[in-house]
Amino acid sequence: MAVQGVMWVEKYRPRTLGDMVGQENVLGSLLAFVKKPADMPHLLFTGSPGIGKTTAAVCLSRSILGDSWRDNTLELNASDERGIGMVRERIKKFSKFVGIGDIPFKVIILDEADEMTADAQTALRRIIEDAAAYCRFIIIANNISKIIAPIQSRCAVFRFTSVPKECVTERLAEIAKSEKAKFVSEGIDTIYEYSNGDLRHAINTMQAAAALDGGINKANAKKAAGITKSSAVDEILKLALAGKVAQARDSVIELLRVYGMSGADILRNLNMAVNRASYDNAIDIVRIISEYDYRILVGASPEIQLSAMLYELGALGSK
Amino acid sequence: MMWSESYRPKSIGEMVGNEKVRAELATWLATWKKGTKPALIVGPPGTGKTTMATLLASQFGYSVVGINASDVRSKSRLNEILEPVMGNAGLAGPALIFVDEADGIHGRSDYGGAGALSLILKQATVPVILAANSDASDKMRAIVKASTVFRFGKVPPRLLGVYLKEILGRQGVTIGPGTIINIISESRGDIRAMFNLAQSFAHGFSPEVARTEGYKTPEEAITAFFGAGSRDEARRALESMRGDIREKISGIYSSIASAKTLDLRRAAKMMRAVSDADMLHGRIMRTQQWRLLRYLDALLASAFEPKLGIPYSKFSVSWPLLNRIRWDGNAIKAFAESVGPHLHASRSEFAVLHMPYILACIKLGAAEIDVEDEHADIIKKESERIK
Ligand SMILES: Nc1ncnc2c1ncn2[C@@H]1O[C@H](COP(=O)(O)OP(=O)(O)O)[C@@H](O)[C@H]1O
Ligand SMILES: [Mg+2]
Repeated sequence: MAVQGVMWVEKYRPRTLGDMVGQENVLGSLLAFVKKPADMPHLLFTGSPGIGKTTAAVCLSRSILGDSWRDNTLELNASDERGIGMVRERIKKFSKFVGIGDIPFKVIILDEADEMTADAQTALRRIIEDAAAYCRFIIIANNISKIIAPIQSRCAVFRFTSVPKECVTERLAEIAKSEKAKFVSEGIDTIYEYSNGDLRHAINTMQAAAALDGGINKANAKKAAGITKSSAVDEILKLALAGKVAQARDSVIELLRVYGMSGADILRNLNMAVNRASYDNAIDIVRIISEYDYRILVGASPEIQLSAMLYELGALGSK
Repeated sequence: MMWSESYRPKSIGEMVGNEKVRAELATWLATWKKGTKPALIVGPPGTGKTTMATLLASQFGYSVVGINASDVRSKSRLNEILEPVMGNAGLAGPALIFVDEADGIHGRSDYGGAGALSLILKQATVPVILAANSDASDKMRAIVKASTVFRFGKVPPRLLGVYLKEILGRQGVTIGPGTIINIISESRGDIRAMFNLAQSFAHGFSPEVARTEGYKTPEEAITAFFGAGSRDEARRALESMRGDIREKISGIYSSIASAKTLDLRRAAKMMRAVSDADMLHGRIMRTQQWRLLRYLDALLASAFEPKLGIPYSKFSVSWPLLNRIRWDGNAIKAFAESVGPHLHASRSEFAVLHMPYILACIKLGAAEIDVEDEHADIIKKESERIK
């Protein structure tokens, strides 16, 4: 079977806005756009990963555009298409051909726009203006502070929030039941603890736990939660603070250059890792991380900046 | 055709850099009358001195009688060339004498040439323009005294950048931003050098830019940097390396990262200097403020510590990791590009957040997943890494 049929995250991705859990504040306004699409401005969705931003964008597009939504929606991952030139070309091509069917506009979903450089975003702003006659943009960013002001001001901003515990556990139980997976509620609670309201992580973790002997219980949930590559940062932090900088550096470079994780993502996860652990000098650690969060923004090479940070963490040590 | 020739400006207005002196020179020629001192244009190579002189002449309706240093063999030869001009014989319009590379007139073979030249300067009945790289030598003293000096400066990197991009646009050629920086820093304010470099890059060559004697390869320069006796000497070692920003920064970065015997505190301090230099690099890329380049060597020099014996290392990571980046990284990218879109996931979202779970499910036998054969190897390899 194809991946999207096998992986529960995709199999149980809501098909309509009504299927989504949490995000009440946001969903109300989005439903209004479905009723009166002519009123819809460009949208900017922000919030942490795995809480339904991409899902909401796709659902909205599907509801407004109906049967022909696939032909009239362009989904781009800003971070993949390194050059803004590529983004421009694809948008140009897409907005040129006449929309199929009776639709109010075409939709361009630009995911992970916060990974674009400020320069690329400035170019993007022009692209938005050029395409605005026929297209609506839904721009998605984990971190809104990395979106330049001129783009923010051209969009209605929707802030997505972590999905509350009851919603997560309820949804997980539904999925487990419909998959006829063996589960205990303590297992699901544990999954929630590790996921912090990130449903993508929660569902993936549950599927892996369900495949282990004993099904979805506390022990298996713990085991499965650490599979994601982003959990490698816990180890990286430990290594660096223990002065094993060379090893920590190898792992960071692996994340960056083998798995394509962005420097910003590594720092964000590192910051969470500090919060999860309890170091006496956590403040000093966070100070270093936040300083390099700035340096990486200004600098040319994420690898150099992250390496320099690891050396500083190594020199600091843990207490 | 050489870009430096095909883009030679057709009018003074099309030239870049040295706006003020250009205007002064135009005034000089516009108000020229018998007895006005000749103009001596002094400036580094490739800044447009020759172009300026020829354009100036044609714009004011003069025909140029040009001589360059190699024509001047002796006093008698010089007189032979110039005498008819003074009387205006056989020329289309009034004559203008242009002596290019005036500072090249010296040495045995030009014996008497400089003297003859200064004599002509004093008696000239037509406008005379001279061009020279420098007016510092003894031979130039008489010439300087007899002329009005106009100084051309190097063309600032920012202007070079704007100009280069315009030319690339006209040629329909794209060159990466990093290469553009290299070209600009390498050409050191010399438009001709910039054209030649850009053209060779555009044609796929990566010319050995360290042609000038005295310039060091990255290995030589960085070895000299870490082996220096003082911070000043270290900075000079960097200055002697060809001006490729990225290579300078990454050479020092990878050498520090690969150093076996370096205590953490010291390494951290050195890395911080590299981080500063990388920020400067980022800033230059973003703002196109090429003038900031002049701080690079000094910033990097603060990464210097004496007597550490750090050897040069070109790579910042071990060979196995380098291979993993090259092969596995590409295979994962291809896998992510084929499957990611079905999960509405970017390459990185797929590789970091989804792929490990997909592999775990396959490994645990919980799922049968169809994937193209070309991804089978990487799936197997990555599955083995999952605990
Ligand atoms: N609010 C939500 N309601 C229901 N499912 C969700 C919600 N948020 C996330 N999910 C689940 O997590 C997966 C990833 O969500 P996604 O919309 O891609 O997150 P984001 O774009 O915010 O990172 C979806 O496929 C879905 O299974
Ligand atoms: Mg998303």
